[in-house]
Amino acid sequence: MRARATAGALGVALLAGLLTACGAGDGEAETVRFTFSKREAIPYMTKVVDDYNASQDDVRVELDTSGVDVVSASFVRGNPPDLMLANYNNEVARFVDRCTLSDLGDTRAASAIRTDLQPLMDQYGRCEGRTSALPYSVMAASVIYNKTIFAEHDLEVPRTWSELIKVADTLADEGVTPFYGTFKDDWTVAQGWFDYAVGGQVDTIDFFDRLAAEGSDVGPRSAASFEKDYTRPLEQMTQLAGYVNDDAPSRAYGDGNLAFAQGEAAMYLQGPWAFSEIAKTAPDLDLGTFPLPMTDDPADLKVRVNVDLAAIIPEGSQHQEAARDFLEHLYRPEVIEPYNESQLGYTPTTDAPPPSDPRLAGMTDYYDTGKVYQGASVLVPKTIPLTSYAQGIAFGEDVGTTMRTLDEDWARLAMRQ
Amino acid sequence: MSTLTTTPKGAARPKRGAPHHTRRVEPVYYLFLLPSLVLFTLAIPVPAIIGIFFSFTNSIGIGDWELVGLVNYVAAFSDPAIWQSYLFTFGFSLVTVLVVNVAAFLLAVGLTSRIRLKVSLRAVFVIPMVVSGIIIAYVFNFLFSNSLPAAGTSLGIPFLSTSLLANPDLAWVAIVAVTAWQAVPGALLIYIAGLLAIPGDVYEAAEIDGASRAQRLTRITLPLMAGYVVINVILGFKNFLNAYDIIVGLTNGGPGTSTRSVAMTIITGFNSGDYAYQMANATIFFVVAVLIAFLQLSVTRGRNTL
Repeated sequence: MRARATAGALGVALLAGLLTACGAGDGEAETVRFTFSKREAIPYMTKVVDDYNASQDDVRVELDTSGVDVVSASFVRGNPPDLMLANYNNEVARFVDRCTLSDLGDTRAASAIRTDLQPLMDQYGRCEGRTSALPYSVMAASVIYNKTIFAEHDLEVPRTWSELIKVADTLADEGVTPFYGTFKDDWTVAQGWFDYAVGGQVDTIDFFDRLAAEGSDVGPRSAASFEKDYTRPLEQMTQLAGYVNDDAPSRAYGDGNLAFAQGEAAMYLQGPWAFSEIAKTAPDLDLGTFPLPMTDDPADLKVRVNVDLAAIIPEGSQHQEAARDFLEHLYRPEVIEPYNESQLGYTPTTDAPPPSDPRLAGMTDYYDTGKVYQGASVLVPKTIPLTSYAQGIAFGEDVGTTMRTLDEDWARLAMRQ
Repeated sequence: MSTLTTTPKGAARPKRGAPHHTRRVEPVYYLFLLPSLVLFTLAIPVPAIIGIFFSFTNSIGIGDWELVGLVNYVAAFSDPAIWQSYLFTFGFSLVTVLVVNVAAFLLAVGLTSRIRLKVSLRAVFVIPMVVSGIIIAYVFNFLFSNSLPAAGTSLGIPFLSTSLLANPDLAWVAIVAVTAWQAVPGALLIYIAGLLAIPGDVYEAAEIDGASRAQRLTRITLPLMAGYVVINVILGFKNFLNAYDIIVGLTNGGPGTSTRSVAMTIITGFNSGDYAYQMANATIFFVVAVLIAFLQLSVTRGRNTL
């Protein structure tokens, strides 16, 4: 009993100390803890924060670059950051689903966002009546191809499945590896092969809505299932996987970047993040991008996107107004547009220009007209080892069997959640 | 354990506390126990009990949760991914225990016989023990993915020319090999200690009776070493059931899901918001481990003292 009283007193004393510490700075500026951990862009964000702090005296922003795990832990402890720019995925969506993020619907930033991106945000999770997160940077990914190799063999960018197969056959006949595969890293199979194949012919928004409606009934007799909707695209994926380098099963992401930079293959199923890695070996390599055609109708062409960064303000933050002030600053065109330009991302505001990098030019039309999808592999909760299953298929596992396993996993997850 | 490792056959156990005092224990001794008792309780039983409690909820690690009874357990028992991870973990542990103990025993016999460079050789064989598992795994990962296939190709051995780690049916062999490479030294040290404790006159007597080298090994060394074998098997099996770092570094559970251990399954659940479910899995694993411990103790009771 006495011990508890002592502990209590100690806690109160500590808290009082903290409060006075906060209060001390309160006369001049309110401190906002801003979490941002995208390593490549930390120098840019540091400068944004410094400029903002110098421009006014009411709010002082502190940049916190500790990673996602630390942030999750801070939510559990009830001491979340005041503002976050973070990769938007199922892990962040947990905070959305449980309504632990404040409504950003009334901010100027929110009204500047392209409305056709909202379904992509909602795909991960929703808190009824709230705009829990705002997209800040959208990454588009598709097939990266070596323009020099294509020119040498008189090849055009394929726009249909049969054209794609023709291109691959021509390259293979002339002794060039059509695709570089890095199957040792399972995420590369899921991100590139699996997602491009599925997204190229399945409407993922509609599919996951139908799947959610089936819930724990997903299985051989349900109207929507992985087996029913994914078997065809994945059979096509295994057909394409026949055109890879012989040692694909033992090659990892780093090996792939090096080999592709050295011109060992014509096409590479990776995202724009690979450009800077490839440029380390071959800075002047002439590269382009195109969506993977999966059907014989060019109208079906789409690029895979992900919300690389989204802005959120946790409800637990004690500095809601100050955090909003800095949020508006982050969304000013002179901040958000150069950011995306430098990171090869697309700015999600309505009037922003696309990134000028010529390597992305092949995807810009699709992004501008909203012909985009989010990867199926990131929409399935991570507790289902989809990336491992995708890797298994690339290694020759039967598509039908794997999809039935996936259906069972989905049904079990729906049952217990 | 010290009594196990130092009592040779037939030696009478020292009679403990010959003049038996029934005097009350000095209370200050309890005070000495207190710090470690408090730390142990806070670090192990308390989190374990909290975790077991959450296995009956639908918590995802944050936010609200409610009690859901046995739902997580029912789901876990019908989850083929979990069954597969148990199957893999037990198969892997059994094979590895066998490989490690056979290799370590033979090495120990070699390293205690009259050979040159005995001491330096022992040092060489113990080195793997001091290197961290994840580093070993990454180094071997490179060897399996690049060096071995290159060697296989140039020697014209088709079996070696593709990476062992890329073969869903054989990737476990690579994991056993690397785990054994790291675990042999620990077992080796215990076997060397055991061999050195066997008195030389037993062998002399056997030699006079005309026992051959092989007979001396199977009729004298092996029976006298039974206690050490039991220790190594129990310790090894317990360690291999927790297999994690070497698998993460070598295959990360792949290709596909063919080498996912129980520990890996539990941790992926924590990282992906499936906290309560994998807590249930962890609880099941704990119960299984306790059962195995009792089984091992009852099977070996009476035999480990020779």
